[in-house]
Amino acid sequence: MEYSSLQRQVAYMKKGLFDQGYLDEQFDELEELQDEASPNFVEEVVTLFFRDSSRLMANIEQALERCPQDFRRLDSYMHQLKGSTSSIGALRVKNECTKFREYCDQEHLDGCQRSFQKVKREHAVLKQKLESYFQLLRQIGPTERATRSGS
Amino acid sequence: MDPNRAAASTASSGRPRDGVGHPPDFPAGLRVLVVDDDPTCLKILDRMLRKCLYDVTTCSRAAVALAMLRERKGAFDLVLSDVYMPDMDGFKLLEHIGLEMDLPVIMMSADDGRDVVMKGVTHGACDYLIKPVRMEALRNIWQHVVRKRRNELKELEHSGSAEENDKQKRALDDGDNASSASEVSWKNVKRRKDGKEEEEEIEEREDPSTLKKPRVVWSVDLHQQFVAAVNQLHVDKAVPKKILELMNVPGLTRENVASHLQKYRLYLRRLNVPQNQARLDTPYTGASEATFHSVGSFDGLDIQSLAVAGQFPPQSLMALNSEPRRITTTGIGLSSVDQIGFNPSAQMANASNIRPAMMQQMSNKQLNFLSGPSSSMESGLLGQSQQPVPSYGNMGLRVSDGASGFFSLPSSQRTSTSFSGGTINANMTNSLVMQMTRQGQQFSLSQQQNRIHINMPQQPQTRGQLPNAIAAEHDSRLSTTMGHQILSNEVSRHGSGRCGSNMNVCTSLPEGYMNASSYGAVSQALYADFSNSCMNESTGSSYPLATGAGATTFTSTGMLQDAFPPVGNVEALGNSTSLKGVDFVPDYDLLSEVHQSKSRDWKLQNINISYQLAQQLGSKQSNIDFGSSLLAHQDPIATIKDESSRNTCIVRKETFSVRTDIEREKGECIAQCNSTILVENSVRVKAEGMSDLSYQGGLFDGNIIQNELMDVVGKKQQEGIGQVDPEFNFDGYSLDDIQGAVQKR
Repeated sequence: MEYSSLQRQVAYMKKGLFDQGYLDEQFDELEELQDEASPNFVEEVVTLFFRDSSRLMANIEQALERCPQDFRRLDSYMHQLKGSTSSIGALRVKNECTKFREYCDQEHLDGCQRSFQKVKREHAVLKQKLESYFQLLRQIGPTERATRSGS
Repeated sequence: MDPNRAAASTASSGRPRDGVGHPPDFPAGLRVLVVDDDPTCLKILDRMLRKCLYDVTTCSRAAVALAMLRERKGAFDLVLSDVYMPDMDGFKLLEHIGLEMDLPVIMMSADDGRDVVMKGVTHGACDYLIKPVRMEALRNIWQHVVRKRRNELKELEHSGSAEENDKQKRALDDGDNASSASEVSWKNVKRRKDGKEEEEEIEEREDPSTLKKPRVVWSVDLHQQFVAAVNQLHVDKAVPKKILELMNVPGLTRENVASHLQKYRLYLRRLNVPQNQARLDTPYTGASEATFHSVGSFDGLDIQSLAVAGQFPPQSLMALNSEPRRITTTGIGLSSVDQIGFNPSAQMANASNIRPAMMQQMSNKQLNFLSGPSSSMESGLLGQSQQPVPSYGNMGLRVSDGASGFFSLPSSQRTSTSFSGGTINANMTNSLVMQMTRQGQQFSLSQQQNRIHINMPQQPQTRGQLPNAIAAEHDSRLSTTMGHQILSNEVSRHGSGRCGSNMNVCTSLPEGYMNASSYGAVSQALYADFSNSCMNESTGSSYPLATGAGATTFTSTGMLQDAFPPVGNVEALGNSTSLKGVDFVPDYDLLSEVHQSKSRDWKLQNINISYQLAQQLGSKQSNIDFGSSLLAHQDPIATIKDESSRNTCIVRKETFSVRTDIEREKGECIAQCNSTILVENSVRVKAEGMSDLSYQGGLFDGNIIQNELMDVVGKKQQEGIGQVDPEFNFDGYSLDDIQGAVQKR
């Protein structure tokens, strides 16, 4: 099939995200779930993810300020966040979450703080990248999108 | 490549049906319930399952899921649940489902640690998926449904009727898509797991018959009966055949009993924890433990019962039992609840309201719940004394020790509570206990209902906790009285097997029921012993709790159940206010009686169970009790009435058949059963003046009263009981609820 230039761009962007480790194969799984019945499934899920994860991260931030010694709580929040990130394939964010949890285990508050900053950063970067990705996708018509080959 | 074969693929078509095989397009249309608090995961799972052509229902709260399952039994084929959820532990949910609905449950989590996976397996999960879940993993989940059905069929076949074997065998075979080889091996494995009894079955494959094996639903009542039978035979020596005979339930097969027994044992093992022993038997230091023994023993039993009820996390019960003397902590016995794992913390504390009076006698520990005077409840409740329902061994009496706080029995019956057995010194609670014992006989299970409806109105949200809050208020009232009554009746009854279970029930109930949370604990303890007696319907009676004081209406049926003679206890609980009508006193005799009878095994076990149940009840139902809490306010006894009768009593009914009718009215019947207790709550006594018992509404949120009780109660009551968390699960069941409820204060 022949790719329009837009399609090629999208494919290229996606490949980049994978190569740089922002996304993993779970993201592919999501795309497979998309079809005529749910044409915007992936975008919907990702939007939902960012909304929910922002809330979780706000909780963590608050917990770090108010009760920093409560590592169990921090760990529990982070566990939730990790679960969501892994379900959409946000690899880098997930890795940072894992590191955060390790610091929690060691009760290393400072490590937690630093690690959390990294989580936030990766989260913001991914959000931005995925936004441009979907924006591009929207420019491609739905039919084109459907025929788009996966990465 | 979906397994479904046919083209028909609408998700809802072709529902696989038991017995005969599956619809042609199976597994399409498989009805799956997904529970996960993470919205992202939930959405993804939903989409994936729909792609597999399954019929999907999603739920983000475990409590809601449990309610849904309870409401529509048979509406789902499989449950997929996350492990870590904020409102309820996935394992608890798993246990509940396993006990009540016996559906295959698959756990999921991002956590792939060996221990967690192991926990899933030991709690009975059919499978454990690691997140992120992939489509392929979901495509094959139908196999668990098939396998389970086959095993059930096998059980059915084996159960006694030889001729059936031929028929039943395997109608399911047809439907299996899985490779037969694997099936066979699964079967073998499963067989072994399911129990020795079924060994012979496996190999037989008779011609598939159209016989469909109806799945046996272990309702609260049925479970109560089961527990009663088991206790009668002594838990270690109980054999399915004898249990079946004792239960004498038409249509029940040996296989059903066998597999249920297996689960039950597992549950006990989990619960069982040190607590039991510790407490139960310890005679009250002050009070004549003798009477309370019943209570104590109740613990053990109750717990079981409770456990059975599915609601209580066994642990809770255990918790209850184990602590013997905690009671002092006013905290209503619930504290034990805490132990159990409940979330008691909040609630129970409030539960203190629950007035330990209730039967916390249970040995201080347990009594913690009831720890008397409402105030105590609060503190006591959960926080305090974890004293899990002190194994009733001493039952009730213990209360005196520590419980004095609990049983806030207004009348400070203290110590002298003449409990026939042990003088439940525990302040009022003793009286409750006493009552219970006395009533023991009377407490036909129905009473339990009255239970302690600890209407902890306060807690409306706390899921299980309700009772505490409410209980706090009302609690004492109801439950105690009820508990006593019931307990006493039961206790006396004890022999009836049911009683035994009652006790359990009680214990469980108190916990649950107490949902007032606080009561739960207390009640539990008390009930434990009483449970036997407690179950007596008399619940309505005693509730002196009506003490209006805010009575810890423990209505939490849970309370009643156990040891506490609902009646008596309730009062204690209710409010520190002198147990008003604390009729219990007279009951004390019962208690003693109860103890005697009970003292046995229940001890910790019952308590635990009861707590659990209570917890569950509490949690779930919170309502129940709270409903009962009603009584608390007004006339302790009177209140218990009808309100409870409605729902909760139900649970009991079966098992105890004892006075179920009595209870109904009483509503209190909390004791009824572990499960029913909750239900009863709704019935609660509230009717009376309790109106404030807010339990009704507030407490329970309508939460999924986990166990049947809950349902029952919930339905009836709907009052507010919402709180009842479905928690009754074993893990720390409802104690939380109870606690919460109790805490009320």
